[in-house]
Amino acid sequence: MTQQKVFVTGTGVISSLGNTVETMFKNLIQGKSGVQTMDDWRIYNGLNSLLMAPAQPFDISAIPRKKRRSMSRMAEMGALATMTALQQAGISGENPWQEIDTDRTLMIMGSTTGSPKTLEDHFKKLFDKGGPESQTSTAFFKIMNHSVPANVAMAVDFKGPLLSTGSACSTSSQAMIQAWELIQAGVYDLAIVGGADEAYYTSAAIFDTVQAASTGYNDQPLESPRPFDRDRDGLVISEGAGIVVLESEKHMQKRGATPLAEFAGGAYLCDGYHMSHPIKDSMIHSMNLALKRANITADSIDYVNAHATSTVLGDRQEAQAIGSVFNHRPPVSSLKGHFGHSLAACGTIEAISSIEMMNAGVVIANRNLKNLDPECESINALAENQEGRYQTILSNNFAFGGMNTSFILKSCQ
Amino acid sequence: MDKQTLINEINQVMIEGFELQPSQLKPEAKIMEDLELDSLDAIDMLVFLEEKIKIKVDAETFRTVKTLEDVYNVVEKVIQDSNN
Repeated sequence: MTQQKVFVTGTGVISSLGNTVETMFKNLIQGKSGVQTMDDWRIYNGLNSLLMAPAQPFDISAIPRKKRRSMSRMAEMGALATMTALQQAGISGENPWQEIDTDRTLMIMGSTTGSPKTLEDHFKKLFDKGGPESQTSTAFFKIMNHSVPANVAMAVDFKGPLLSTGSACSTSSQAMIQAWELIQAGVYDLAIVGGADEAYYTSAAIFDTVQAASTGYNDQPLESPRPFDRDRDGLVISEGAGIVVLESEKHMQKRGATPLAEFAGGAYLCDGYHMSHPIKDSMIHSMNLALKRANITADSIDYVNAHATSTVLGDRQEAQAIGSVFNHRPPVSSLKGHFGHSLAACGTIEAISSIEMMNAGVVIANRNLKNLDPECESINALAENQEGRYQTILSNNFAFGGMNTSFILKSCQ
Repeated sequence: MDKQTLINEINQVMIEGFELQPSQLKPEAKIMEDLELDSLDAIDMLVFLEEKIKIKVDAETFRTVKTLEDVYNVVEKVIQDSNN
């Protein structure tokens, strides 16, 4: 059986830089940052990182109450981004699924955990009451592992196969790669794919605890994060949702849908080594396997969209890994300096940004890159946006648990 | 608390908790059919009533409730019983 090519036919975002792809990309081009100082967080004992990039305000009143009541903030963002992506893919209107075989359509998305805010509320009440007295009926639906996809499915009336991926910061990249595998193999024709996460002080605290969060720029929010820069000091959490519609070539052509890019392949690997310590050999393995599975040689990659969250160790390991895989020194940038780190959403938000870069003929520079870390010199780290013809892009996402993911997008222009 | 104050408090719970309009809150309105609340909403209604009016209604007792007026009466009885 011939393996199916897979294309992106719809995209939707809720992000710190805008809630339409157009606005978000305009802000990326202009080098804007979504990062703010969270003065409200000063009350939390032991929290040293006070920076966060909140999503732009959004309105969910169009979703009926009974579908909305079980949604946490992350599910709300996931639902809105999904609606946008489906609309762009031409799956909308009164009966959006009428022309689609939903048995052969996969919804696959996830989040790092369930809603951290609801988790806190739930357990605070549990402890205060000395038991489960007076819990609301919907709390669990906001914190269960498949809360985002289950709520999104309800919001868009999707009745079909549903999978929840959860691998922290590689959640949505893993979802895309898994969807690609399954569509390519002919199991599904179409997939609604992505990730969502809400930013809460407890999320910042997780990174702060392992000394991976930025703490030195609390009163200069625009100066952090700073991927690959000598003076970086850690990541800044963000939030949002990124959703893509992936579709087999045959199905796309049959529907008359427009391809935005080809999803050419990818790899998701566990390093089996360390929960939090990034290691370049595993990153190299991930990128090489992605290239092999996409049947693409390293020298045909025109740009690398790095994961680089602005941690001292992670950026160095990734730079050295990229330098090792790509001898031709393609331009490299991370978008974490603009968005912050949107955790489970970052893979798809960065994929969508990369598609926009290819289609616009410009790659976005690393924000706040003033002095390249000498230990990152093996890469061509962009300090300025660079115009050109970018046909093939590789994007990385790494996560706690030793997760390393890489995927490849090809232009359709 | 007099009955009308109690009714106003309960109606406020219905408006804030379930996004109902004041015009929908007629005593004879059926909770499930007219106000379109379901089993999950019924559980939450007990929690919201507890938070707003500081009373604890037994879930078993609440199962007999069909109309909004039944809610008023059940809550009134719980308050009276707790005062005795």
